[in-house]
Amino acid sequence: MSARDAILSRLKGVAPDKAEAEALLVAPEQPMVDERALEAEFLARLALPSVSASHDAIETIADLPAAVARYLEAQGETPTLCLPPDPRLNGCDWSAFTLHDAAAPDEVAALAIARRGIAETGSLVFETAPCAPMLPNFLALHHIVLLPVRDIVAHLEAAPLTGAQPRAHYWITGVSGTTDIEGTYVRGAHGPRFLHVILLRAPVA
Amino acid sequence: MSGAVDTATFKERADMALADRILKVAVERTAGTAETKRAVAVDAFPDFEAARDRAAAIKDHVVAHLGAYLEEFEANAIAAGAKVHWASTADEACRIVIDICKAAGAKSVARSKSMLGEEIGLPHALAEAGIGRVETDLAEHIIQLADERPSHIIWPAMHKTREQVSALFKAKHRSPHEEETIAAMAESARRELRTQMLGADVGISGANFLIADTGAICTVTNEGNAELSLVPPRVHIVTAGIEKIVPSMPHAIHMLRMLARSATGAALTQYTTFYTGPKRAGDRDGPEEMHIVLVDNGRTKMREEGLAEMLRCIRCGACMNHCVVFRQIGGHAYGGTYPGPMGAVLTPVFDGLKQSRDLASACTLNGKCQEVCPVRIPLPTLLKGWREKSWREGLEPTSMRWGLGLWAWVARRPALYRLGTGVAVRAMQMLGKKGWIDRLPLAGGWTRYRDMPKPAPQTFMEQYRKERRQ
Repeated sequence: MSARDAILSRLKGVAPDKAEAEALLVAPEQPMVDERALEAEFLARLALPSVSASHDAIETIADLPAAVARYLEAQGETPTLCLPPDPRLNGCDWSAFTLHDAAAPDEVAALAIARRGIAETGSLVFETAPCAPMLPNFLALHHIVLLPVRDIVAHLEAAPLTGAQPRAHYWITGVSGTTDIEGTYVRGAHGPRFLHVILLRAPVA
Repeated sequence: MSGAVDTATFKERADMALADRILKVAVERTAGTAETKRAVAVDAFPDFEAARDRAAAIKDHVVAHLGAYLEEFEANAIAAGAKVHWASTADEACRIVIDICKAAGAKSVARSKSMLGEEIGLPHALAEAGIGRVETDLAEHIIQLADERPSHIIWPAMHKTREQVSALFKAKHRSPHEEETIAAMAESARRELRTQMLGADVGISGANFLIADTGAICTVTNEGNAELSLVPPRVHIVTAGIEKIVPSMPHAIHMLRMLARSATGAALTQYTTFYTGPKRAGDRDGPEEMHIVLVDNGRTKMREEGLAEMLRCIRCGACMNHCVVFRQIGGHAYGGTYPGPMGAVLTPVFDGLKQSRDLASACTLNGKCQEVCPVRIPLPTLLKGWREKSWREGLEPTSMRWGLGLWAWVARRPALYRLGTGVAVRAMQMLGKKGWIDRLPLAGGWTRYRDMPKPAPQTFMEQYRKERRQ
C-alpha cells in the first residue's frame, strides 16, 4: 500500500459540507477600520513602528519618475532603479535614471505596482506575472511601491483574487526585520531596509 | 546543547538549565517581551475570545474532514503544476526530499525555518546525503553555526545572548561585524547569507497553511528569507504536516490574524506568501519544479487516539512564552523537537511515552497555556492524559508508585492524615525564615532552585475547627 493510500485510508470520513465550511466565515472578527476614510486608515498603519514605511502622493502616473527621484535623492542614493516590465510604466519618462530590468544581488532600489493596499494592516498585495517579477522586491535595499488610491481596501479578505491563482500571491507589511538576537528589532535582516509607498490619485491606465 | 545533552534525562537537562544563569536571562528577555506584546495586540482586537472560538472551530472542521480536504488540496496543487508526495513516517519524508535533491543534482539547499523539517530530522538527513545546507532564518543560522538545536519554535536561538552570537559570527563569518551592536551582527549575517541563498540549487520550506481549494501553500516570515530562499533556486520542496490544511483563503486569513498576534503581538507578519505551483510561462523568476511532501508522522494516530485537539496547533509559541516551567528551564531541557506545553504533549507521540513521560509530570497545571492558546487546545487536560497513560502502563518509577500508594493509604485514614499534616506543618514552621523556607529535608529538589512559602501555623482542618468553635 502506498503512503498516500495508507494515510487516506485512516482518514476516511464524511466529505466536508461546503456550507459548514462557509458558515465558519460568517461575520469574522476583524480589526476595526473606518471604511469612509480608507486612505487615512492605510497611512496610519504605514506609520506604525512595526511597518515603518514612508509615503508620498502623485496625481498621475506621469509624475512617478519625479517622485521616485525625489525619494532616492532624499535618501542620498543615485537615480538607479530596477524597473519591472509593466506596460503601465511605459508612458513615464525614465531618462534621468539608470534602469535595470533584473535585480542585482546588491540592488539599491526596485519599483513595483501593488494590486491592493490593506487598511487593516498597512499591507501591500502583489501577484507574480511576466510583467511582475518577485525577486527584486526582496533583494533591493529600498522597495518603492506605486499604489493607486482606489485599490485600498479595508480588510485582508479583499486581498485575494478569486478563480485562477497567480504563481505567487504575497503581502508585504513593512520591511524585512528580525528580533532573533535578544528580541531586539533590527531592520533589513535579509530583504529591504526601507519601504516607500507612492499613492496614485488618478486611475492607472 | 548537542550530543551530550541529548542523551541526558529530563531531570539532568533541567538541572543543567536551572544552573545556567545566562540562559534564564536570555529566555526571560525574549519570552517576557513576547508576553507583553501579545497582551497589547489581543486587547486591541475587537473580540479575540470569539476569534479563538472560530479558529478552534475551523481546525476541528478540518480535522474531522481531513482526508477529503487533503485530496482536494492534492488535486488543485497538481493542476497548478506541483508534484505531491506522501510520507507516513519521518524517514520516508526525508528519503523523498533527498531523492528530489539528488535528481536535481543539488549540491546545496537553502532552507527556510520549518519545525516540521526539524521534527523529521531533515538537517541530519541532508548532511548524511552530503548535501550542503544553508539555514536562512537568522536564528536558525545562529544555531547552525553553533551546532545546536532550536530552543523555541519562533525564536530558535532565544537561549543565546548577544555576546555569544558576536563571538560565533566573528569565528565563522567571512566578513564579520566590527561594531558590537545587534544591528551590525544582523548585517554580518545578511552579507554572509545573501550570496549563499542566491546560489542554492534547491529551496526547502515548510508551510504554515495548505489551501485546499487552490492548492497553494502559505509561508510567513518577518525576515523575507523564505522568499529569498524559495524564488531563486530551480527546485522548491515543501514539507508540511497533513494537519496544516484549511478549506480556503478566507479561512487562512482568520488563522493568520490569530497566528501573528499570538506569536509576536503583530497584526501580521511582514511577509505572507501563497505559492501555487512552479514558474509559469513568461515568468522572470520562480522555481521550475515545485514538490510538496505531505507528512503524517503520527498525526493520523493522534486523531484516532484522543489527541485530535492537538492537531489544531498552529505553532505560534504562545503556550511556551506564558509557561512558568519553560521560562525557568528554556527549550533544550525538554529534549524533543517541540518545547514547552505543546512540546510536552507532542514529544511522547514522536519519541515514545517511556522516554518522555517526565515532561507531562513537569507541568504545574496552572492552565496559563490553555488561556492563551489561539485555538483553545486543552493542553493541561492532554498532559493529564499522558500522566494517566504512564500510570496505567506502569512507566512511573517504583518510588513514585510506592509514595502515592502510601499517601493513598494514609489519606483513607483521616485521623492519621491529620496527625501527619499537623506534624509536617509545625516542622516546616520551625524551618521557615521570614516567610520562606530555603532548605527542606527530603525536598532538596524543590528548594535548590526556589524557596517554598512558609505555611500557616496550623493546618486547614485545625483552623476550620477553631473557626467553628468560635
